[in-house]
Amino acid sequence: MRRRIPEMFLGIGFVGIMTTLFLGLNWAPSVSINAFESPAAQRIFYWHVPSAWAAFIAFGVLFTGSALWFFKRSPFGWRLHVAGAEAGLACGLMTVWSGCVWGAAEWGTPWDWSDVRLNTFGLLTLLALFLVLGRQSQPDGVETRDTFSSFGLYGFVLVPLTYIATRVWQIRHPGPVIGAGDGGGSLQSSMALVLLIGALSFTLFIVGHMMISMRITHLEQRLEHAQKSLDGGN
Amino acid sequence: MEGTSYLTIAYLGMIAALAIWTWTVVVRSRSIETRLEAVESSIGIDVSQADEFAAQSSATVQDDATV
Repeated sequence: MRRRIPEMFLGIGFVGIMTTLFLGLNWAPSVSINAFESPAAQRIFYWHVPSAWAAFIAFGVLFTGSALWFFKRSPFGWRLHVAGAEAGLACGLMTVWSGCVWGAAEWGTPWDWSDVRLNTFGLLTLLALFLVLGRQSQPDGVETRDTFSSFGLYGFVLVPLTYIATRVWQIRHPGPVIGAGDGGGSLQSSMALVLLIGALSFTLFIVGHMMISMRITHLEQRLEHAQKSLDGGN
Repeated sequence: MEGTSYLTIAYLGMIAALAIWTWTVVVRSRSIETRLEAVESSIGIDVSQADEFAAQSSATVQDDATV
């Protein structure tokens, strides 16, 4: 039963994501046509914001895992690093892709190279891509883990930078809709409810993925050790 | 209508990507479990010893790290 908990998280999270989409497309109110060029495309917000939220959770796990491996040599920390990088890549790609779709409809261009938030988040996703592909192409060992962990540690600086980017240098990306801190950014209650369901669903989904990813890394290590024993290498 | 069609395609693409990713990960996990059970049973490790064995496996890299 305990081994099936991650799969339950995945299942519940996936159903929740589908529910969010359904509510976002059919139930949440439409935004003013005066405020947006493309009010229909604005509904991608119910996917974009929760996936960005899940990406930040994943990058937080990546940072924690990197620190635990780098400073404590914790195998659990390494498994967190691997899981955080994979989940960060998936959520980062979903966020970037949904943002590009919205940008194409709203701004007339999918990407703006002068916008700080777009570029720092894009770099974070590329960092996750580098960590995932790099780990798969290198033999596992202390040097490999140290190298990737140090990238995980230094790369995390992009997370607070991305968070504050629209507050400090708002260029094109919209400002915060929740927790703006200046009385702005208020959402209608039905919109906030759909967004909350989305955030919870994406959180469950990504936690389930990270738990499975950690189990896979653990099993791979056991398998490698068992195969060495079988070959008489230990 | 055209905008809604693009949006639907974008959503369907993302849902398909999520489903494929999830399916791949679950299948990979089950496949490794099966292989591991086969290898461990062939060298006479039962389930009760497996966790101890896993700890040894992790300790190998950790030992390398502290040398």
